[in-house]
Amino acid sequence: MQTRIIVKLDVKPPYVVKPVHFEGLRKMGTPSEMAKKYYNQGADEVFYIDIVASLYRRKILIEEIEKTANELYIPFAVGGGVKSIEDFSQLFHMGADKVVINTFAVQSNPSIISKAAEIFGSQAVVVNIEAKKIANKWECYTDCGRIQSGKDVLEWAIEIEKRGAGEILLQSVDTDGRQKGFDIDLAKEVVDSVNIPVVVSSGAGSLEDIKDLIEKVKPSGVAIASLLHYDKITIIDIKKYLTENKIEVSN
Amino acid sequence: MSSLIGVVNYGIAGNIHSIKKAIEKAGGLVKVINTTSDFEKVDSIVIPGVGSFSDAMKELHKAGFVEILKSTNKPMLGICLGMQVLSSIGFEYGKTKGLGLIDAEVKSIQCDASVPHMGFSSIDVVNTNKLLDGLEDEKFYFMHSYEVINYTDIASLSEYAGHKFVSSINRGNIYGVQFHPEKSREAGIKLFANFINCSILGNKHG
Repeated sequence: MQTRIIVKLDVKPPYVVKPVHFEGLRKMGTPSEMAKKYYNQGADEVFYIDIVASLYRRKILIEEIEKTANELYIPFAVGGGVKSIEDFSQLFHMGADKVVINTFAVQSNPSIISKAAEIFGSQAVVVNIEAKKIANKWECYTDCGRIQSGKDVLEWAIEIEKRGAGEILLQSVDTDGRQKGFDIDLAKEVVDSVNIPVVVSSGAGSLEDIKDLIEKVKPSGVAIASLLHYDKITIIDIKKYLTENKIEVSN
Repeated sequence: MSSLIGVVNYGIAGNIHSIKKAIEKAGGLVKVINTTSDFEKVDSIVIPGVGSFSDAMKELHKAGFVEILKSTNKPMLGICLGMQVLSSIGFEYGKTKGLGLIDAEVKSIQCDASVPHMGFSSIDVVNTNKLLDGLEDEKFYFMHSYEVINYTDIASLSEYAGHKFVSSINRGNIYGVQFHPEKSREAGIKLFANFINCSILGNKHG
């Protein structure tokens, strides 16, 4: 089975930034420029996450999303600060194919997942899980890794599948932006707990890290951010390396 | 000389933006169909689809589009759910009657891997047609939890985790693709270019 190679753009409008542990932001470029670059390199999908929309309680910036969508002929997922069916609807009309939700569903109202799935179809509803290891378990965080929710990651993953989510974006607060490898245990537990596709993010520091994750966890997709932003490694390099290592990707 | 492609707008859950953009990229002119009278102005029809089968049929009925779509002679392309609604019956959120243009049923994907099936897959063309011309070796993007069960009008098959399913259908000038050409890079643009040619031909004959 093919593994999707997905680019994640962490956006603090108007720039894509590189967070380390979800903090310490560095400006990397505009979302539309960077999305186009990765599209041309052969990315299978783009995830656009406005990392401050939820934290600052403001609505995600619409124009930048439309501009980014216009550059792409591959699936485009958008998230950050989504809290209503109207938000979902607006983002689809701006060119998003999937909408990513976290904070509102975890903190306020998980039933928005089922409502959105019924209206827009499961395939269009992605739930972002920000996991942090506490003792021997993982707990869900919100607001870009800042707020502890008390919810157990595995229980939440099973719950959101039941509620009709079509996909999980799994991020790790512990490994995000450090480029020292994925949290393999976390990824494996989540992938094995649900039947919906899981896109694993947070931690790609080398081609070996990506290969290691796919071989051990077999996720539906891998989301890569920091590793690509300095142009040392491209999507072309990743796909070539994985193909050489007998891992199926689309070319 | 150029033909006008009508993209059917129904309900709130539309991915019209990206389809319109891709058809224009392929050199086509697009008119979004909002009312029944808009159908007269276009040379061919694209039915997009995001959402569930039952909701889609409900919205098509509400807009008054069902009878027009059933009786039109214009070339038609259904995309994803838009292909599924061409079938006689759908089983998503209850049993619902479809447009019945293709003798088929729509059922949830039964396989061992995760569902929805998301990602690029190749197509195995079993009955070539104008829409798939030159696209036999290409990969297309799929994003679906349901599949069309049909035996008579299969144009191509695809495979997901060992499970074979119908990835496109064709009957006369009615076409349906389970994948999203608007999300399938240059191959998808080429498919829309092929459909634009179908609509020009359809126009000449009609």
